[in-house]
Amino acid sequence: MASFTTLLERLIFGYRKVVVALFALVTLYLGFQASMMHLDAGFEKNVPLNHPYMKTYMDHREDFGGANSVLVSVCDANGNIYNQQFMDTLQQVHDALFFVNGVDRSSVTSLFAASTRFTEIVEGGFSGGPVIPADFDSSRQAALDQVAVNVEKARIVGRQVANDYSCAMVTARLLNLDPKTGESLDMLQVASDLESDVRAKFENDSVSVHIIGFSKMIGDVANGAKDVVLFFAIALAITAVMVFFFSRNIMMTILPLVCSVVAVVWQLGLLTVLGFGLDPMSILVPFLVFAIGVSHGVQMINAVEKKVVAGMGAQHAAMSAFRALLVPGGVALLSDTVGFMTLLVIDIGIIRELAITASLGVAVIILTNLILLPVLMSFLSLNDNYVKQFNKKEQRNSAFWKAIASCANKKPATIIMLVTVGLFIFGWFQSQQMKIGDLHAGAPSLQESSRYNQDTFLITDKYSLTVDYLSVVVETSPEACTSYGVMRAMDDFQWKMANVEGIQSTVSLASVAKNVNAGFNEGNVKWQVLPRSNQMLAQDISMVPTSSGLLNGDCSVMPIILFMEDHKAETISRVVTAVKTFRKEYETDDMQFKLASGPVGVMAATNEAVESAQGPMMLYVFGAVIILCLISFRSVRATLSVVLPLYVVSVLAQALMTYLQIGLTVSTLPVIALGVGIGVDYGIYILSTMSHKLKAGATVQQAYLDALKERGSAVLFTGITLAVGVSTWVFSSLKFQMDMGILLTFMFLVNMLGAIIVLPALSRFLWLSKNDPDA
Amino acid sequence: MKSTLMAILVLSAVFSAQAQEAYQAPRVTESLLLDIDHSDFVVAVGERGHILTSTDGEVFNQQAVPTTTTLTAVTVLGDKVWAAGHDATILYSADKGKTWVVQMAKPELEKPFFDITFFNAQQGIAVGAYGLFFRTNDGGSTWKQELHASILSAMDQEYLEEVKQDSPEYYEEELSLILPHFNKLRVINDKLYLVGEAGLVATSDNMGASWQRLEMEYQGSFQDVALINDSTIMLAGLRGNVFVQRNNEAWEQVPTCLSGTLNSILTDNSDAIKLYGNNGMMVTLEQPIDAVIYDPWAAPGQCTPANGFSAQQTKDKASIVNVTRFNGHLIAVTANGIQQLETE
Repeated sequence: MASFTTLLERLIFGYRKVVVALFALVTLYLGFQASMMHLDAGFEKNVPLNHPYMKTYMDHREDFGGANSVLVSVCDANGNIYNQQFMDTLQQVHDALFFVNGVDRSSVTSLFAASTRFTEIVEGGFSGGPVIPADFDSSRQAALDQVAVNVEKARIVGRQVANDYSCAMVTARLLNLDPKTGESLDMLQVASDLESDVRAKFENDSVSVHIIGFSKMIGDVANGAKDVVLFFAIALAITAVMVFFFSRNIMMTILPLVCSVVAVVWQLGLLTVLGFGLDPMSILVPFLVFAIGVSHGVQMINAVEKKVVAGMGAQHAAMSAFRALLVPGGVALLSDTVGFMTLLVIDIGIIRELAITASLGVAVIILTNLILLPVLMSFLSLNDNYVKQFNKKEQRNSAFWKAIASCANKKPATIIMLVTVGLFIFGWFQSQQMKIGDLHAGAPSLQESSRYNQDTFLITDKYSLTVDYLSVVVETSPEACTSYGVMRAMDDFQWKMANVEGIQSTVSLASVAKNVNAGFNEGNVKWQVLPRSNQMLAQDISMVPTSSGLLNGDCSVMPIILFMEDHKAETISRVVTAVKTFRKEYETDDMQFKLASGPVGVMAATNEAVESAQGPMMLYVFGAVIILCLISFRSVRATLSVVLPLYVVSVLAQALMTYLQIGLTVSTLPVIALGVGIGVDYGIYILSTMSHKLKAGATVQQAYLDALKERGSAVLFTGITLAVGVSTWVFSSLKFQMDMGILLTFMFLVNMLGAIIVLPALSRFLWLSKNDPDA
Repeated sequence: MKSTLMAILVLSAVFSAQAQEAYQAPRVTESLLLDIDHSDFVVAVGERGHILTSTDGEVFNQQAVPTTTTLTAVTVLGDKVWAAGHDATILYSADKGKTWVVQMAKPELEKPFFDITFFNAQQGIAVGAYGLFFRTNDGGSTWKQELHASILSAMDQEYLEEVKQDSPEYYEEELSLILPHFNKLRVINDKLYLVGEAGLVATSDNMGASWQRLEMEYQGSFQDVALINDSTIMLAGLRGNVFVQRNNEAWEQVPTCLSGTLNSILTDNSDAIKLYGNNGMMVTLEQPIDAVIYDPWAAPGQCTPANGFSAQQTKDKASIVNVTRFNGHLIAVTANGIQQLETE
C-alpha cells in the first residue's frame, strides 16, 4: 500500500503540469456537458413502478391517467359571473387555452363550448340546447339571464360553475405528443405558456385566473427548483468566509473551493453523460458534493499548514499531505458512498438515482480534492507571516479544546449520559408517531402558501371537486358494462366503499348508468336503478362517453373513483384496507377489482413502498457503518462509541419529523441514510486518533484531548460546512426541499455534537479501567 | 312428515333471510330513499332494499331485510308495514318494520312497483310500471295480477275493443303492453285515485275493481294527487305541472314556470299547499289557489307564476321524492337520503 502511494505520488507530482492540464481539459469537457443539463421532472421515477398498484396505474394510464388535464378557474372579484366583463374574459380564456400548443383542442370545455348543453325532460322525451346560444350578446342583460337559467338546467354548477356562482371553469386535456414536433409534449413549456398566455393576459383587478393540473404543478416545481442556483451561491459565499477564517489565507481559501466546484462540475457533467437529468430532488447532490469536497479540502489545508509550520516548502508539504491523507481520506469518502449505496434497496427510481449520483459525486471528490488540490497547493509560495499566524491559531485553539475535553470527565460525562438517555427515550416515543406520506393538503411538493396550492384550495373550495381521489380499476371481459351482474357488483362494492370513513363521494359507470336510467324515464328517481335487461343497460351506457374516464373503448375496464377527504396516510391506508376486504365478496375469475389509479392511488403505492423500505434501509445503513467501524478499529467498544450516538441522533431526527409534521416520503426517506453515512465520519476521525492513543496506554481523557487537537477543528468545521451547504434549502419554495434542508442540517450538526460531546462521555464508561483518576 | 317439511321450509327461509341480510351501512341515511310513511313510527325505504325506521323522527335505524332490491314504496297500517319495489318485490313486516319477509318477488317480469296501499289489514293493491297491478285479499299472503282496460283513455279502449273482436288471443298481451306506468295511489274521501304516465288520472269507487278515467287535456305524467280542500283535487307531475279541479269542473292549470318534476303534495296546512320535487325544489302555493285555463300552446318563455306561488331549493338540490310530518318533524326522503326540512 505504501509503495503504491509512493508510486502514485511520484507519478502525480513528477508531472504536475500535465496533471493540472488533464484536469482542466476534463473540466472543460464535463462543464460543457453540464451546461446541456436538462431539468427532468419525470413522473415515473418519483413512484415505485414495480409496486402492484403502480402496475395497474401504468396499464391503464392511457385511458384513465387523468394526469394530463388542465383546470382553469376564472373568478369574478365581485362574486357573480353573470356580467359582461366576466363573460367576455371567460370566452377569451377559453380561446386562449384552445390555442396553447399541446392542448387537445376538441377537449376544451367551458360555458362557451358547443358541447356544454342542457337537456330537459319534456313530455315524450328530451329537449335541449347549448347553454350559451349562438347569438349570445354579453351586453344584453336578458341574454345573461338566459345563460343563468340554462346553467341550472345543464346541472353544471359545482363542475363548470362554482357553487357560489363567483367562478367558471375552463378545462382541457393535453396531448401526449407535441403536434408540432411529434415528440413527447414538453410539460414545462405548456406550464409556461399557461402562465403567460392564459393567466398573465387576463388577470386583473376584477377577474382572477386560477390554474391547476399536473403540467402546471411540474412547471411551478421546476421554477421553484431554479432558486437553488441562488442557494448555491449563498452556500458558496458563506463557506468561503468560513474557510478563510480557518486558513487566514486567500489562496488557501480559493483552492479548496475551486476544487470542490470542479467536483460539482464533474458530477453534473457525468450525469448528462450517463443520460440522467437533474430533478428537483437530485439537485441536493451538488450541494452535498460541494460540502463534502470542502470538508476534505480543509483537512488537506490543515495537513499542509502543519508541515509548512514545521518548516517544509510548499511543494514538499503538499506531497506529504497527499501521502498522509490519500488512504484515510479515501476510506472516509468510501464510507460516505456505502451510506448512499444502501439507498439502492429502495425501489423508487428517484432514490436510486440519488444513490448513484451521490456515490458518483463522492468518487469524483477523491480525484479533485485528494489529487488536484495537493497538486495545486504545491505551486503556492507561503511566507513567514503565514507561519506566525498559524502558530497563534494553534495556541488559541488549545484552550478551547481543553474545555471541550472535560466532556470525558466523570461529572460532566454522567450528566451528558443522563441527558442523552433522556433525549433518546423522549425521541423514541415521538419517533413512533412519525407519519408516513404527505400530511398537508394540496400538491405536496409545493408550499401551502404557493400560488399553485392556493389555486388548488380555491378550486376545491368553490367547486364540488377534489384532487384527492383513488380509483379502483375493475378489469373484466369486453362489453361487460351491459351485463347486469358486473354492473351490480360494481355498484354494491361502490356503496360499501362510500360508507368508509374518509370517503367523500364515489362515482363509476354503474352509478352514472343509474342516473341515466332515471333520465330515460322522465327523470323519475324511482327508476334510478340498474336495469336487468341488456338492451336497456346498453342504452343507458351509450349516453356515457369514454372521455368521461369511466370506461375504456370496449368497456372491459371501468374505474370506480373514490373521492377522499384528504390524502393523509391513515386515510389512504384505511381506504386501501377496505378495498381489499370488500372486493373479496365481488371478485370472480372474470372480474378483478384492482388497486389503484388516480393521484391517491399513486400516493398509496408510494406510502407502502416508503414504509416497507424504511426498516431495511436503517438496518443496512447501520449494518454497513458497524462493519466499517469494526474493520477500522477492531474493537467493539470503539464501534459502540461511534454508532450509539449516531443511532440516538437518527431517532431524534425522526422525532423532529413528528414534531415538525414532516411525513416520511420519497424525499425524506433518504435523509437518515445520508445523515448517518456522512455523520459517521466525525466519530471515525476522532476515534481513529483516540484508539491509537488508548492502545499506546493513554487515559481516555488524554486520548480525547489529543484527538481534539489533531482533528477537532476539522470535525467542527466539517459539521458546520455541511450544515451550511444544506441549510439554505430551508428557504426553498419547494416543500420537500425545505423538509430535506431542515432534516439534513439537523443530522449534520447534531451528529457532530454527538461525536464531540456524547462520544467522549460514552468512552469514559466503556473504558472504565483507562480513566484518569483525577477526572 | 308434514311438520318436518314445514320445519325445513321455515329453516331455509330463516337461513336465506340471514344470508341476504342487508349490509349495515353507516351512511344509510344518506342513500337514495324513495318513500316514507308513518303511524306511531316512521318507515322509509329506498335503494338496495334499505328500510329505515324511527320512533322519534330523528334517529333512524337500518333494519335487516331479506332483499337488496331497490324499494320504491311503503305503506303503514297500525303495526303492519308493506314495502314494494323493483323486481316486482313486496315485503311485509308485522312488527313496526323490525323483521321482514318477502311476500312476492318476480324479477322475471322486469317491472317495478311504484306504489302500494292497503284499505284494511287484508285488502291491498300494489301498482307500478307498464300497468303492473297486483291485489291481495289475505294481507299479502297471496298476490294476484290484474289488468284494467278501464284505466285506459277512450281512444285506447276503442282500439282494444277492436283487437278483442279481431283476434281475442292477443287481447291480454296487447292490453298489458298498452297500459301506462302507474305512479301513485291515493284514497281520497272513500274514492281511490290513480295517477301515472301520459296524463293518467283515474278513480275507482270499489277499491280498484273498476276504473273511471278522467279526461285530461295535458298528456304529461303525474306523480301525485291530493285533496286540498273539501272540493278541490290537485295533481302534480312532470315539468312542474300542477292542475286543480274544483267541484268536478274542468281541470285548471296552476302555473309554476318550473322545469323539474314535482313528486309530492303536502296538504296538512290549510293556508298553503306545499309541493316537493326534483332538484330539491320546494314550492308553496297559498290558498286560495290561483289557477288559469290550460293553454297547451303557451310559449315556454313567457310564463308568469300563479299568485301566491313561491319556491326555494334545498341546499344539496337532491330530488325530494316524498315528505311526511311526524312528531314535529317534516321529514323528506330524497336522492341523498333523509332530510329534515325547515318547518318555519
